[in-house]
Amino acid sequence: MSLPRQVSALMRFELRDELRAGEVGLIVLPFAAVALLIIPMAVGIDTPLLARIGPGIYWSIVLLFGIVVTQRQSAVANPAARDMLRLLAVDPAARFAASALASTMLLLAFEIAAGGITLLLYDPTLQSWWWLVVLLPLTAAGLAMIGTIAGNIASGLETRSSLVPLMVAPVAVPVLLGAAQATEGLRVGSGILRWVLLLAIVDTVLAVAGVLTARPLEESAS
Amino acid sequence: MKARPLDVAAAGTLLFALGAGLLVPPDAVQGDLQRIMYVHVPSAWLAYLSFTVTLIGSVTYLVTRRMRWDHLAGAAAEVGVVFTGLALATGMIWGKPVWGVWWTWDARLVLTAVLFFVYLGYLALRRSIDEPEVRARRAAVLGIVAVLQIPVVHFSVTWWRGLHQPPTVLRPDNPQIDSPLLFALLMGVAAFTVVFAALVSRRKELAEIEDAALAADPGEEVAGSAVAAPRLEGGTA
Repeated sequence: MSLPRQVSALMRFELRDELRAGEVGLIVLPFAAVALLIIPMAVGIDTPLLARIGPGIYWSIVLLFGIVVTQRQSAVANPAARDMLRLLAVDPAARFAASALASTMLLLAFEIAAGGITLLLYDPTLQSWWWLVVLLPLTAAGLAMIGTIAGNIASGLETRSSLVPLMVAPVAVPVLLGAAQATEGLRVGSGILRWVLLLAIVDTVLAVAGVLTARPLEESAS
Repeated sequence: MKARPLDVAAAGTLLFALGAGLLVPPDAVQGDLQRIMYVHVPSAWLAYLSFTVTLIGSVTYLVTRRMRWDHLAGAAAEVGVVFTGLALATGMIWGKPVWGVWWTWDARLVLTAVLFFVYLGYLALRRSIDEPEVRARRAAVLGIVAVLQIPVVHFSVTWWRGLHQPPTVLRPDNPQIDSPLLFALLMGVAAFTVVFAALVSRRKELAEIEDAALAADPGEEVAGSAVAAPRLEGGTA
C-alpha cells in the first residue's frame, strides 16, 4: 500500500473511532464551553473589556483544550494495534501523518465550535474575518503536530498524563503567539501577514521534524 | 575529585571576569546596578548556547546512535536550565529598582520563562525513562522540536515593543556600549562559556558512569529487597 493510502486509511480509522466515542464533541467541547463561561466571572463583567480580550481567551482555551483533543483515546495508539501496524509494514511516518491529520480535523472542528461560543459570549469585533479561513487550519495543524509528537514521545510512560501537557503547552507558544497576534491584528485592522508567515514556518518545521523523527520514536515505543 | 585543566581555566576566567565586572566604571545612568548585567547577559547567552548544543547532540544522536551525543544533549540542557533560571533571577533583581517591579509582562521575559519550562519538560522526560536507548531517542525528538522557541525568544524584542531593551552588542551597526563596559561584558560571556564547557563535561561523564553502572548490573538488588512479605504458615485452617 502506498504512503498516501496508508495515511488516508489510518486517518479515516481514527476519525471513525472518534465519531463513535464522541470524546471531543461530547466531553472536551462542553468542558471548554464551561471554561469560556467561567473566565468572565474571574475577570469581571465588563462587556467592552471582554470583547477586547475575548480572542486572546479563545486562543488560550484552544491551546489548553487542544492538548486534550490530541491526547484523546485512540484505537491505533495502544500497544497491540501498534504491533499489528508494524507487522503490516505501515510506515511510521504514515502513522504520524495520519494521527496529525486526524487531530487537525478534530481541532479545526473544535476551533469552529469554540469560536462560535466565544462570539456569542464575548462579542468580539474582527475586521477581515475571512483571514480566519487561513488562521484556523494553520493553528489546528501546528497544535495537532506538537500534540502527536508529544504523545508519541510519552507513549507508554507512567507519567504520560502529566508529562504531555508540560511538553506541549510551552512548545506550542509560537503557535499560540502567531494565532493570537494575528487575531489582534484583525481586531485593530493592522497587517497580519508576518504572523501568518510565523504559523506557516512553525507548521513546516513541525511537519518535517515529525516525519523525520517518526521512525526513531517507533523504535523506542514500548 | 581531581581538578582538570578545563576546571582550572573555568575558575581562572571566572575570577578574571569578576574582577573586570567590579573594576570597570559604573554606568552613567544606572550606576552600580548595571553591573548585574555582567552576570545576566552571559547567563542569557549560555541559555541559547546550551539549548543549541542540546539540538546538535539530539540530531547527531539520531544520526549516529552513539550514546555520547545523548549524554551531551542531556548535560547541556541541564546546565542550560540552570543558567536560564539565573538569567531570569538576575533580570528580576535588576528589574525591581530600575522598572519598579520584579516581573512585568514583557515579551522577552515571558518567552524566556516559557523557554525555561520547555527544557524543564525535557528534563522531566529524561527522568521518566530508565532505559538509556529509549530515553535517548525520545529526548532527542523533544530536543529538536523544543528549539523552535529560541528564535522566538531572540526576536521577541524586535517583534514587540516592550520594556526589555533591544540587542545592544549583537546588532548590525556598532555596539551601543562603551569600550570598558563592553570588555567586562565580553569577559563575562567568555568566562561563563568556559564554565559551561566544564560543567557539561563533568555532567556528561557522570551520565556515562550512570549508564555504564546500569548496563553492568541491571538486576542489582536494592536495599531491603531481601526482606520478604509476612506469610501465614502452618498449613490450612
